[in-house]
Amino acid sequence: MIAVAPGAPVLAAKALTVGYAGRTVIDAADLSVAPGERLALVGPNGAGKSSLLRALTGVLAPRAGSIDLLGEAVDQVPRKKLARTIAVVPELADLPFAMPVEEVVALGRLPHEPPLTGLRPTDVAAVDGAIERIGITGLRRRDMRELSMGERQLVFIAVAVAQAAPILVLDEPTTHLDIRHQVDVMELLVDLNERDGTTVIAVLHDLALAAHFFPRVVVLANGRIVGDGAPTETLSAERIREVFGVDPALVRLPVGAA
Amino acid sequence: MSSADRRRGVALLSVLLAAILGACSSGSASSPAASVPVVAAPSGSDAAASPTPSPTPAFPVTVTDDEGTSVELAAEPKKIVSLTPATTEILFALGAGDRIVATDDGSDHPEQAVALPDVATFSSVDVEKVVALSPDLVVAGGLGFTPAESITKLRDLKIPVVVIYAPSVEGVLKDIELLGTATGTSADAASITSAMRADMDAVAAAVATKSPKPRVFYDVGYDDTTGAIYAPADDSFLAEMVTMAGGDAITSGDPNTYEIPLEKLIEKDPQLIVLGTNPFYSPTPDAVAKRRGWDAFSAVRSGAIKPVNDIEITRPGPRLPMGLRTLAAAIWPDVTLPSPS
Amino acid sequence: MAAGALSRDVEAGGLGAWVRARPLVVGVVAVVLLVVTLILGVGLGSVRVAPAETIAVILSRVFGIDIGVTITPATEAIVWDLRLPRVLTAMLIGCGLAVAGTTFQGLLRNPLADPYVLGTASGAAVGAAIAVLLPIQLVVVEFGLLHGLAFVGALASAWLVFRLGGMGGAGGLTRLLLTGYAVGSVLAAVLTMAMYVSGAELRQIFSFLLGGLGGSSWVRLIVAAPLIIGSSVLIMARGRSLDGMLLGDAAAGHLGIDVSRERGILLALASMATAAAVAISGLIGFVGLVVPHVVRLLVGPAAHRVLPISAIAGAALLSAADLGARLVGDVPVGVVMALLGAPFFLFLLNRSRSGYQL
Repeated sequence: MIAVAPGAPVLAAKALTVGYAGRTVIDAADLSVAPGERLALVGPNGAGKSSLLRALTGVLAPRAGSIDLLGEAVDQVPRKKLARTIAVVPELADLPFAMPVEEVVALGRLPHEPPLTGLRPTDVAAVDGAIERIGITGLRRRDMRELSMGERQLVFIAVAVAQAAPILVLDEPTTHLDIRHQVDVMELLVDLNERDGTTVIAVLHDLALAAHFFPRVVVLANGRIVGDGAPTETLSAERIREVFGVDPALVRLPVGAA
Repeated sequence: MSSADRRRGVALLSVLLAAILGACSSGSASSPAASVPVVAAPSGSDAAASPTPSPTPAFPVTVTDDEGTSVELAAEPKKIVSLTPATTEILFALGAGDRIVATDDGSDHPEQAVALPDVATFSSVDVEKVVALSPDLVVAGGLGFTPAESITKLRDLKIPVVVIYAPSVEGVLKDIELLGTATGTSADAASITSAMRADMDAVAAAVATKSPKPRVFYDVGYDDTTGAIYAPADDSFLAEMVTMAGGDAITSGDPNTYEIPLEKLIEKDPQLIVLGTNPFYSPTPDAVAKRRGWDAFSAVRSGAIKPVNDIEITRPGPRLPMGLRTLAAAIWPDVTLPSPS
Repeated sequence: MAAGALSRDVEAGGLGAWVRARPLVVGVVAVVLLVVTLILGVGLGSVRVAPAETIAVILSRVFGIDIGVTITPATEAIVWDLRLPRVLTAMLIGCGLAVAGTTFQGLLRNPLADPYVLGTASGAAVGAAIAVLLPIQLVVVEFGLLHGLAFVGALASAWLVFRLGGMGGAGGLTRLLLTGYAVGSVLAAVLTMAMYVSGAELRQIFSFLLGGLGGSSWVRLIVAAPLIIGSSVLIMARGRSLDGMLLGDAAAGHLGIDVSRERGILLALASMATAAAVAISGLIGFVGLVVPHVVRLLVGPAAHRVLPISAIAGAALLSAADLGARLVGDVPVGVVMALLGAPFFLFLLNRSRSGYQL
C-alpha cells in the first residue's frame, strides 16, 4: 500500500537512544521494519517497550540515533501526514461526555477529513468499514461510557482501523479482553496484515499470543534489543528464562479455529 | 513549571496587590463627587440680590453638577424626574414640585411626593420609564446612589442629568442653589438657603459656648448577629452635624469606613448615644442598653440614650435646620434654642 | 457482543431518540426561539409600546420606510436606543459564553467547567475593583475604565493561570484546573480586600459583579461584537480538534492534532470571548455551564454540532432571561436564568435515561 523502494524499510530506527530526565530507557537500539511485516514487541515490565513505540511514532524525541519513516526522519514528517501513515490504537481513556461508538470511531478520520467541511462519503464508508471489520456493528449507537473494558478496547482498535494508515501500532491491545476476544483481535490483526498489507507492530505481554500469531518477535530487555526474529528462536525456553526469569513450559497448541 | 515562571507569577500578583493597596490610599482621598460644586449661573444670583425680577434670562444655562459634569439646559425644565428623596424635597421647597413627573420609591416627603409615580428603587433605575416620560431634567444621586450606567444611558439619550451629592452642610446649601438655577427658581433658592443658614447659625451659636462638649455617639446602625457597629465616618456630613449641634462627635476614625470596632468605642466612651431612627432602623433605648459590651459606656450607665428622627438629620435637604435643632436639643436639653425664623 | 444490562439502545427511546437523530431540527428550533425572543425582547418592556409603533420604529430606522404610524421621540428612543441594543447585546453575550463554556468543557475534559474556570471571573472583578478605586475617569468609545480593566483583568488572570498551570500538557489538566482555582481564590481575596476598603464605591463593584445588561448601547455592541463573534467563529472552525482531544492528549496527537498548539489557541479564543462578555455585562453565570450540556443531551457531543447550536441557544436563553428580568422589575439576570433554566435542565436529565446521558 505504500510506495517504497523494494527492500527499503517502512520504519527504521538506528542506534536509537531514548530517555527521560536523567534515565536512559532505550540504549542504542536498531530496528528495521519492512512494509507488510507483522511483528510483536515483548519484554518484561520496564524494558522500554512503550518508550520504543513512542519514539517510533514520533511522540518522544530521541536523545541519539535516528528514526526514519519511509526514508524521511520521523520528526520532519508533518503531523497530519504522520497520522495518515501510522495509526496508533489509543489508550483506554475515560470520555468526559456521553459519545456514541460510531462517533468515536469517526474520530479516526480526523487526519483525512478537511477541517471545515467534516466527514465526506469516503470517510463515512471508512468508518462503517472499520466498525464492521472489528465486528462491533451492534454497538454503533451505544454510549462509549457504558461499554465494558473489552468492548471499549475494540472500539479504540476500530478508531485506528478507520484511520486507514499503512502502519498499525498497538500497545498491549489485549489487556482487558477475555481469551475469546484476545484471539479475535489477533486474528483481526493477521487479517489486516495479510489481506490489506497493513504493517502491524504490536506490544504484547502475552508470550503465547506473540509466539502464535506473529512471525517476527522482538524481545526487549533493559532498553536493549536482545532478540529479533522468529519466535522459535527469540522465545526459546532459555531465552524466556534469561529475559523474564521464569521457567516456561513450551507446548505447541492449536489456538482458535483452524 | 519553571522557577522563572513561578517568579513571574508571584511578581504579577505582587504588582496587583500593590496596585490595589496603592489605589486604596490615593483613591480614598478623591471620589467622583469630592469637589465642591460650583454653580455657574451669574444671572441667577443677580436675581437673588434684587427684589425685582432680573432682566437677564435664566435660560439657557449651563450648570456644573456635583461630579463636575457640565449640564446644559436649553429652557426651563417643565418635566423633572427626581431620583433621590433629598432632591425631591429640595425641588418641592423651591416651588418646582408641580413640575416633577416621577420620583424614586424612597421619596416620601412632602405628601404630594408619595403619590408621584416611581421610576427608581434603592438599587436601580427603570430607564425605559424615565425615557417614556420625556423629561427635560433628571436629578440623580451621586456616589453610586443612582447607578452610573443609568446616568450614562440617560445622557446618551440627550436627557440632561444633574448629579447631586452633598458631603457637607455647606454642600447641601450649594445644591439647593444649584437646583434653583437649574429649575429657574434661583430667587426661591437664595431665600431658602439664607433662611437655612441663619437658622442653623443661630442654633450653632446657642450651643457653641457651652462646655464641656459631651462625647456624642450617633448610632447609625447595629448588627445584632455580628455585633458590628456603624458610626459616622471622619469628616462626614453626620459628624459635622453633631459638631454643629454642640457635641464632640465620635467617629469611625477613617473617612472611608462607617464601621467602628467595639473596643474603640469603649475607649472613646460616649456620654450620650443618639439613636438615628428611621423606617429601617428603630431600636429602643432599652434594647440598646442591653447590647453586649455596651454597659461599659458612660451613656448606658447614665441612661443617656435618645432616639432622634434620623431622616431630618441626615437627609441633605431643606429640613436640615429642623434636624439640627432636634440634635442640639438632644445634646443640650437645657439650652433654649432660638425659635425658627 | 454482550449488551450492557443498564442501558437501552437509542432506537428504542421514542421522542428522545427521534430528536437525537435529527440535529438539524434542533438547530432550526433554536433559531426560531432566537427570533421569537428578539421580537418579544424589542416589543416588551416596563413601558407599554404598541406593536405597530415598535414595527414603525424598526422599519424607519433600518429601512427608512415610514408606515404612517406616529411615533414620539420617547418611543423611538425606547425601542431603538434602549431595547434593541440590549436584546442584541444579551444575544451576543449568551452566544459568547455558551461557546466559551463548550470549549472549556471540551479542552479540560471536564463537564463541570464553565467560562470562568480559569480565573477569568476573579480577574475581571479585581480589574473592575481597581478601576473603581482609581481616581481616574476615562472613557474610550463608551467604555469606561471599569470595562477596560475588567477586560484586561480577565485576560491577565487567564494568562497567569496558563503560565502557572502548565497549559495542561505535561502538568495535566487537573493541575491546570487547580491552578485556576488557586489563582481565582487569591484574586477573590484581593477583591474582598478592595471591597472592604472601598466604602461607598462598594456599590459599583457589587453591581458590576451581579451582572446585568443595563449598560448596553449600540457603540458597545459594535465594539464587542467582532471580539465575541470572531472568537466564536474561529473556535467553531477548530471544532474537530476539540473532539479529537476528548480521547486524551496522546490519542489526539496520534490523530494528527498539534495538541499544545490547538489547546493554546482554543484557550486564548475562549478566554477572549469570556473577557469581552464579562467586560460588558459583569459576571453572568449559568449560560456557559448549562447550555452546552442541554445541547449535548439533544444532539450528542460532537463539537461541530454542539458549538453552533449552543451559540444560538445561549443567545436565546440570555435574551429571554433578560426580558424576564426587565418585566419583573430589574431583577439580576442571573437569577432569572437559573430559575428558567435549572428546572428545564433537571427535566432533561431525568428524561434521558438512555442514549446521551451526561
